Amino acid sequence: MGYVYDEQTTAALLRQIISRHTTERGAQWLEDRLTEWQQQQALSVFNMAFAAAPRFLGREPVAATLAEQAALPVHLEGYTADRLFRIWWLLQLPVNDKKKYIEIIENLFHAAEMNELVALYGALPLLAFPEAWRLRTAEGIRSNIGNVLEAIMLHNPYPASNLDQPAWNQLVLKAFFTEKPVHLIVGLDRRANPELARILLDYSHERRAASRPVHPMLWRLVGPFLEETGFEDIERLWLSEYNVEREAAALACHASGYGPARELLEKRPELKAEIEAGQLTWETVAHRVNMAN
Amino acid sequence: MCCSAQLTEKDLAPEAMNPAYLDAIKGMRFFDPHIHMTSRTTDDYQAMADAGVAAIIEPAFWLGQPRTGVDTFRDYYSSLVGWERFRSSQFGIKHYCTIGLNSKEANNEKLSEQVMEILPLFIYKEGVVGIGEIGFDDQTALEEKYYRAQLQLAKDAGLPVQIHTPHRDKKQGTQRSMDIAVEMGLDPYMVIVDHNNEETVKEVLDRGFWAAFTIYPFTKMGNERMVEIVKQYGTERIMVNSAADWGISDPLAVPKTAALMLERGISRADVELVTYRNAITAFAQSGQINEADFERVQEIDQSLKYNGSTILRGGQQPRPNKQSTIIR
Repeated sequence: MGYVYDEQTTAALLRQIISRHTTERGAQWLEDRLTEWQQQQALSVFNMAFAAAPRFLGREPVAATLAEQAALPVHLEGYTADRLFRIWWLLQLPVNDKKKYIEIIENLFHAAEMNELVALYGALPLLAFPEAWRLRTAEGIRSNIGNVLEAIMLHNPYPASNLDQPAWNQLVLKAFFTEKPVHLIVGLDRRANPELARILLDYSHERRAASRPVHPMLWRLVGPFLEETGFEDIERLWLSEYNVEREAAALACHASGYGPARELLEKRPELKAEIEAGQLTWETVAHRVNMAN
Repeated sequence: MCCSAQLTEKDLAPEAMNPAYLDAIKGMRFFDPHIHMTSRTTDDYQAMADAGVAAIIEPAFWLGQPRTGVDTFRDYYSSLVGWERFRSSQFGIKHYCTIGLNSKEANNEKLSEQVMEILPLFIYKEGVVGIGEIGFDDQTALEEKYYRAQLQLAKDAGLPVQIHTPHRDKKQGTQRSMDIAVEMGLDPYMVIVDHNNEETVKEVLDRGFWAAFTIYPFTKMGNERMVEIVKQYGTERIMVNSAADWGISDPLAVPKTAALMLERGISRADVELVTYRNAITAFAQSGQINEADFERVQEIDQSLKYNGSTILRGGQQPRPNKQSTIIR
């Protein structure tokens, strides 16, 4: 059992989107490579098409319809024609020999340039044998290349479903450290855990000691595990001169089962009402942080 | 490398801050088609961006000591299309590279065989604008063997070739490099002969090749000599680069040479040809250079700024105040 989803439907859908975004020359190139690969099954054909895609398909942005996007296991926002081709091309690999399949994909990672890495990490949710890519994903999180990190962290359901807790926590921490839009991490609330809350709280203390700002989204992951220690910080935030920090404090209290935090929230009934009406959410906080410029 | 020249007290004194040349070239854009950024610091990237360098080509070369295994070659090539490209983009500079086995290391036959095997994996990658820098160093039989093998690779892939010409026995080495390229059926218009000087330029141009000049203190060309070359030979198929690396070299050689040319009466249009346009024309034959990308890499930098000036996202590098004793 290789794939954990209906890969044929997905492949057909991706092909359909690709065909809307290729020139005649690009379409011919794709057709030729596919035929060549199906007839010869030569690895050099597979690798070369993967690498050479931008030369023939270009790098123009592509768009999926709402219906297409809803039916796909990957989020195509920000995709270009070459990247779309690459994730579809990966689905052309046979999965009958697990060891070989993994070796071929690992070799693509080894020789990958930046955009290839982005395509490969973004394709994680599409790959067969999902359990086989955990170490690879953890390795990718160690990258220092911004868009490679984004391909793993943002809009990508693979990490939340597959990483163990230490690797997951590293992903979230690295997202804060590299100032990524954390709210776009899939499974952020579902994978929240006390250990991560403790590390983030320590991190916020370091930032404060250095007179550096603390990202308000951090409190989203601290809130559900608030106890005496973290509560001091929330009280401080509650009195912040920044609106967005006071909102973050209210949201953290709302997510908490800690008595004093619940009581604190009662002191600002208007914020509590906004939260309960769904008008104030972490999404609105995220939006405000991004717009604060 | 430097250091064969006589150093005087003046050479050793710290340089005065004098960015006057920046005024002369304000608003101009430059393309440095030969620079080894792997060996340079972030200060260089910032200074280059400030001086108008919009895009660069980093040829694969010798790292200063011989490699002992194919994996270090693989990682090096991979860093040219990966980490270094990203690092460059953080400063708003579009980074391309040429991939090849350099002449010095071609003398290790066992290793060269393994390197030749992995080269096809890299030459088709996005942003690879040629095979380079390849050619002769000591002019040995093994150097010739792998030079030929790589010319064939370039011919099959339809890629330009960036030729390194030797320091020692330069004139003959340059002639021999061109002879072999012609003999193997390469179009001279697809071949950029690098590190020219007053002695080699005429033949290179007469035979239809591109002539690149490296402005590199002490050992290669100085830019006053470069001005005279352009006055004598014009601008057709001539380009200037810095070849800045781990030696005493200058990553601003291209903008500085442009400023000097203007000062000495060469027209702005001609300066633009030898410091920007010609290199693009030559290497764009790879199909891998899109000038719109030069601006895109700069736009990305700006738009990645988020949450005011204190927080930067991914792409952009903050600028510390270098004159201050305080580091925050």
